Amino acid sequence: MENQKEYKITVVIISALLGLILTASLAAIFRPVSDGTGCIADIYQDGNLLASIPLDGKGAPYQFTVTGENGCFNEIQVCPHSIGILSADCPDKLCVNQGFIDRLGLPIVCLPNKLVIRLREADSGAVDAVAY
Amino acid sequence: MSLRKLTALAVYATLALAVYAIESAVPPLVPLPGIKLGLANVVTLILLQQYTAKDAFLVLTVRILLSALLFGQALSLLYSLAGGIVSFAVMCPSNRLLRRKLPFLTGALGGLSHNLAQLLTAYAVTSTAGVLVYLPYMAASGILAGLFTGLCAHFAGRYLIPHTK
Repeated sequence: MENQKEYKITVVIISALLGLILTASLAAIFRPVSDGTGCIADIYQDGNLLASIPLDGKGAPYQFTVTGENGCFNEIQVCPHSIGILSADCPDKLCVNQGFIDRLGLPIVCLPNKLVIRLREADSGAVDAVAY
Repeated sequence: MSLRKLTALAVYATLALAVYAIESAVPPLVPLPGIKLGLANVVTLILLQQYTAKDAFLVLTVRILLSALLFGQALSLLYSLAGGIVSFAVMCPSNRLLRRKLPFLTGALGGLSHNLAQLLTAYAVTSTAGVLVYLPYMAASGILAGLFTGLCAHFAGRYLIPHTK
């Protein structure tokens, strides 16, 4: 009988823990995201900041290519308000399929080529833009 | 290991490999790396229920190594191994704690730890703290996918002939 009680407590604790983590995660996912007008796109390769591109709505769209070790590449398209990866040589193309990002939140990550594009607000950490 | 058991485990490993292959042939529902159902985990859960932890681990390792050999690249082997071993290390004691009765709870714990391990591996590989933004997505999808695979294992287990020595 005592064993049965202990078992029930274990089950309740594990379920409560999982429920808590799930609720916290969902709350974090659906929290309001600030819109990215005037944000800056940071492009990281292998953890190093390659470039910081302001997405302030000025200028015409343009493309450039980031190459990495073993000749891998990601072709990046910069639009006035968004940034995305047009093509890449990685096998899964997850970075391309993620499309264009235009607000703070999820970064574009290309794991095979170790490339990360992340948006941040323009006024936060302006000094970081020169920290190459 | 008896011939009967060896054959049964080999069939389970083949089943896991086939399920894994079919799942990776289906395009992902969410355009985020790492979010999937992980249906091959159903086999691991069934083995944890009906066989010993050692047998389940054996089939899991065989499945991961063969799938990397057949479909993967070196990097995906790293992610699979990290996720597989860590989730097994969590599922094995929790399955014992739950007296093999509630595979969906074991599965949810396994899914959660699998995704957390893969996220940490991604962090180690890219050395970018930015990938940790995925944390809530990976945690939530891991728990939900684990619940689903656990339920699959629960219902599939009813129709399988229990293992006898």
